[in-house]
Amino acid sequence: METNHITQIVLNALSLTNESRPSTHQIPLTDTTVLFGQNGHLDSMALVALLMDIEDALQEQSIDVSLSDEKAMSMSRSPFKDIPSISQYIHDVIAAQA
Amino acid sequence: MKARKIMVTGASQGIGKALVEHFLALGDTVIGVSRSKSDIAAENYHHYSADVALEADAKRVFANVKKQVGALDVLINNAGIARMNAFALTPVDNVQEIMNTNFMGTFIFCQKAINLLRKSPNARIINLSTVAVPLNLAGEAAYAASKSAVETLTRIMAKELGSFGITCNAIGPSPIATQLISGVGEEKINKLIQQQAIKKMAKVEDVTNLVDFYLNPNSHMVSGQVIYLGGIS
Repeated sequence: METNHITQIVLNALSLTNESRPSTHQIPLTDTTVLFGQNGHLDSMALVALLMDIEDALQEQSIDVSLSDEKAMSMSRSPFKDIPSISQYIHDVIAAQA
Repeated sequence: MKARKIMVTGASQGIGKALVEHFLALGDTVIGVSRSKSDIAAENYHHYSADVALEADAKRVFANVKKQVGALDVLINNAGIARMNAFALTPVDNVQEIMNTNFMGTFIFCQKAINLLRKSPNARIINLSTVAVPLNLAGEAAYAASKSAVETLTRIMAKELGSFGITCNAIGPSPIATQLISGVGEEKINKLIQQQAIKKMAKVEDVTNLVDFYLNPNSHMVSGQVIYLGGIS
């Protein structure tokens, strides 16, 4: 799957996240927005919800992956920091599974 | 009351079947799961033959439920097996089988259900435990340990899924005349009942009553709880 396509899935999932947040706490959908980690917009449970939405969207395209394994959570540079890093991480997970 | 979408595992007999019939009578849409086929035929009843302990089966069930019903309001993990035996003589294969169905089955179904439950305004998970846990019942080591794991899982899920608006609770029935205890001698059942504050056999309606309590929208502040029948604590 192309990274651009994956990025679109991540953006769609973040739009869903924004729908459940007040207008004062919307997450800007830009490459530099920090999603998770220091000064991130998402706490751990919001990240879990985002990853579930992404897994759900991937499953609709018959791609069955688990994005929140122990390895991902303990990586020194979190793959969940921002939109580009999440997209790249998903790309790598799918490629490793192929 | 708005019709709910309720999944019940272990739906083909005993407590599970009684719960399915109860919800159908209330006009809910019910998704039943069991290894065997179901003899329940109703317009708003959907049955899936699956082994709850197999992740692949669970994935198939939830993918189809998503297509067929779209969302879930309630998951009731009732599927369970019991094998009475002295601890010293219990075959390891039996322990594995009990843990797989009772604990792993509950774990897998809870995990797969989260995304469908998140969309509900009154999302509920109810897991079935047993009074064998607080009674530390001799002869039930593997069964009671598997249900003890279910209780801990329920309490931790209550904390983690609270932010998704999902309450997680458990029910520990005292002896009820179902298939699950059909192999247990009358003397042993009577001895067990004598340990209860309310010294009589429970009925499936007593479980239904507790389920209805947990499912009541007014019970939105009740989570991480295990209620035992028979006055056992």
